[in-house]
Amino acid sequence: MSLLSRFKGLLRINRLERELDDELRSHIEMRTQDNLASGMSPDEARYDARRRFGNSTLMKEDTRAMDIIGWIETIGQNLRYAARMLRRSPGFTFVAVLTLALGIGANVAIFTVVHAVLLQPLPFPHPEQLVRVYDDIRSSNTHDVGMSVPELWDLRDHSGVFQDISVLFPADANLTGGDHPERIEFLGTSPNYFTLLGARPQLGRVFTAADAQPGFTLGVVISDAFWHRTFGADPQVLGRKIRVDNDIYGIVGVMPPGFRHPGRTLGGDVDMWAAAGYSAAPFPTPVIRAARFLPGAMGRLKPGLTLAQAQAQLDSFVAQLARQFPDEYPAAAGWSLRLVPTQEDIVGNLRTELFVLFAAVAFVLLIACVNLANLLLARSASRRREIAIRLAVGAGRSRLVAQLLTESLLLATISGAAALFTVIWLKSSLLRFAPAGLPRLNEVTLNPAVLLFAFCISILTGVFFGLAPALQTAHAGQIIALREGSQSSGASKHQLKFSRFLVASEIALSLVLLIGAGLLLRSFWHLLEVRPGFEPHHLVTTKIWLAVPNDPLEDPYRLPEKRAAFHQEILRRVSALPGVEQAALGNAASLPMDARHFQLPFAIENRALDSESTPVAEIASVAPAYFSVLKTPLISGRFFTDSDDTKGQQVALIDETLARRYWPGSEAVGQRLRLGIRRNQASASQSPWLTIVGVVANIKSDGFDAASAPHIYRPLYQVPTYDGVVYLRTTSDPGSLGEAVRAEVQGVDPTIPVFGIRTMDLVLATYLAERRFALNLIAVFATVALLLASIGIYGVMAYTFSRRTNEIGIRIAMGAQRTDILKIAFAEGAFLVGSGVLAGLLGSLALTRFLQSMLFDVKPSDPATFGAIAALLAAVTLFACFIPARRATRVDPLIALRHE
Amino acid sequence: MLKPKSDVLQGTLALLILKTLARGEMHGYGITLHIQRVSSDVLRVEEGSLYPALHRMEQDGWISAEWGMSENNRRARYYRLTATGRKQLAEEEKNWARLTEAVASVLQFAR
Repeated sequence: MSLLSRFKGLLRINRLERELDDELRSHIEMRTQDNLASGMSPDEARYDARRRFGNSTLMKEDTRAMDIIGWIETIGQNLRYAARMLRRSPGFTFVAVLTLALGIGANVAIFTVVHAVLLQPLPFPHPEQLVRVYDDIRSSNTHDVGMSVPELWDLRDHSGVFQDISVLFPADANLTGGDHPERIEFLGTSPNYFTLLGARPQLGRVFTAADAQPGFTLGVVISDAFWHRTFGADPQVLGRKIRVDNDIYGIVGVMPPGFRHPGRTLGGDVDMWAAAGYSAAPFPTPVIRAARFLPGAMGRLKPGLTLAQAQAQLDSFVAQLARQFPDEYPAAAGWSLRLVPTQEDIVGNLRTELFVLFAAVAFVLLIACVNLANLLLARSASRRREIAIRLAVGAGRSRLVAQLLTESLLLATISGAAALFTVIWLKSSLLRFAPAGLPRLNEVTLNPAVLLFAFCISILTGVFFGLAPALQTAHAGQIIALREGSQSSGASKHQLKFSRFLVASEIALSLVLLIGAGLLLRSFWHLLEVRPGFEPHHLVTTKIWLAVPNDPLEDPYRLPEKRAAFHQEILRRVSALPGVEQAALGNAASLPMDARHFQLPFAIENRALDSESTPVAEIASVAPAYFSVLKTPLISGRFFTDSDDTKGQQVALIDETLARRYWPGSEAVGQRLRLGIRRNQASASQSPWLTIVGVVANIKSDGFDAASAPHIYRPLYQVPTYDGVVYLRTTSDPGSLGEAVRAEVQGVDPTIPVFGIRTMDLVLATYLAERRFALNLIAVFATVALLLASIGIYGVMAYTFSRRTNEIGIRIAMGAQRTDILKIAFAEGAFLVGSGVLAGLLGSLALTRFLQSMLFDVKPSDPATFGAIAALLAAVTLFACFIPARRATRVDPLIALRHE
Repeated sequence: MLKPKSDVLQGTLALLILKTLARGEMHGYGITLHIQRVSSDVLRVEEGSLYPALHRMEQDGWISAEWGMSENNRRARYYRLTATGRKQLAEEEKNWARLTEAVASVLQFAR
């Protein structure tokens, strides 16, 4: 309807109203006149004239209903009537609003997260152009192997795909000079990082092309949070000097509070950004193509280029590079570049989890709707009289349907509003339940999209649960009105059939949810049964880090022997701490269940490189006591000893997975391997051959549900690293051991930060909690579904039997046994449950494969889970329909016969 | 002021209004007065049902309305029969005669 015609309509109402008023006024005046003439007092005369109209507004409304435009008023009237009806049955209203508010609230809550995490574009201009660039080695099926500087330059200058490309080098760094050394999240970028994103600072400036230089720029940009935390939001912070990993940087800019790096970091939000050219110290020089030390890159695609086009262009560019540099890119390795939209990249595999949760809450709402529809149908039986009367006095069927529908819409809207307010109110507490790894949670807000969603879902809900019962009721009412009072049959039978259909679909929906929950639960059980390869109880780990200054000459730990000495001193001190049974050290890569571990390529002596896929393994450096502290058993050979140092023979340990993969059935001890791959055997940067001295059991370093990655261990004193993890096997509860470790480490060198103090029990608990998040929610949803379905079938069966009291009475009077009656009930219930379960099983078969990536050691169509859950649901629902059936058998036949 | 109430039956109201207007145009108040007087106070038209009925009939095209001046120089809305209205009146009168005849014969038979 156009605005103009609407306006005209309103004018018309006004005009009609005025005319009506005039007409009635003149009528009242004439009557008053006559009353006066017949001898009434003026007051009396006027009162009488008015009284005859009764409720004059009501009459006006009746008059106006004749007009088509009256529908506007009709809606208001329907609403008022609906509100009255809801007020009149507060019990029903309360239950309905509670059920719906739960369903709608869960949907709104999940949608809020889905919207922020998946749907809302990243808060940058043209976010669709932002991509993450990954290097993959196809032959060994290894993803994200890192990029070399020449590759970066090629991509920037010759690929023709990017407007701009920036390095992403997540790191953590030591901030010294404050009260005690602090560990900060640090992101190495290219100078164009901020202009590529299109982000502006709130204070100072971001990097510009003028900042470009081979090593690190001396100006850094800091985050708002870091500014507040460390500098108390000092507006004079620009130009302040800070000491990071022993280098002095000046602060040139502060980013606004809403700015977050759109990608993975090591441990948290980025505190500091520094730009570098990555082609001078502290980075490896000379710049060579094979040194893939850049962890990754982010690019902005040229305008108008779709992802598929860009990927196709990049593929041909990769092929061209491989032809140009056959030594660096052996065809057998299968080097390739992969573009992933940044928006997708930061969400990773949480995408599936969120969609599964969304589907689960949608199911719950659907079940709630079905239940409510059933409730309304049952209620319509008790409203039959009211409806028959309304039909008899001339209410149209459509008007009646509109009236009933208004009631459900009002219910749904009230529930929607209640749900929305609850979600707003509980927002921060709800967010605490979200898995820790969920990105962009800071962007979770109640924006117009969420409000619109809440509104739409409420309306849809109202129509969904209200329409069918309204049509049914109006239909039934009509038939009853025609038959005038004959209470039985036709319509109610029809109605009953419909409610049975509803209950069967409710059972089917619940079964899908329950099977999903069952599969996740089984996965979780399998997860708990995994043997991690180490003993997590009474194990405390803390991280340390020796600073790496940009100028190697300033590095006090430049010499490996210095680092080894430091490590040994630390170990000596912490071992003496009270409560410590045994202590060990390893590098960061040796810490199980920590951030992502990388698999790096290696070569085996006397095996051709190209003949098979490149071998890869996770590589860690560990002190001799590492395996005994972790309680990881030795399979063959020996552990490291203190004499495996820089002067000793170059040695390595491997784990069972590696041994089985490359030396199946033969002895791996004594064989030699070499880290990294070079085709050019004469290269100077060739790493030495390592002799395998022992095989240890597998350690699940990437989490319980990841495939066992092969490991190679190096002796820490032979290759002392800058990063370190202190492992403490304690005799009792670790308590405040962490602080004692900090004191000991800083007793050796006060500039070394000690961070990430954790017990392995806690790490595992957190890890499992993340895995359990979806399981918990879906289990709750499934339980609610089961409960609703049971209530649903109970209601329908109870109604059926109350209607059949008469019949059952006759049967009992004729000599039927209780068991016969129960048999009838069983047959009816079994049919309902059976068809529901069958539909549910089919639905589950179709849907559970979307759970695949969340399952561990369980097939999506696991017959045991399907069977057990279906049996459980059938048992519960059949029980629910036996209760009313048993009650029915207890009736006294005499009373039953008199019933109705 | 209590008077014996005898509401005009739903459905017969239209007939009464049409018949009244057959004498010539008249305003709402006049119609109630006419019916009341002619039926010697037995039939009373409720104002609450008169105007909705008038508007419905106007929409059905049986009657038309126009503003005019009453005997006492008061502005009033005057209703008049249309051609359709006349046909409708004939129809309704026929129906009514048939109905009363039928009721009468039932009553006689029962007696």
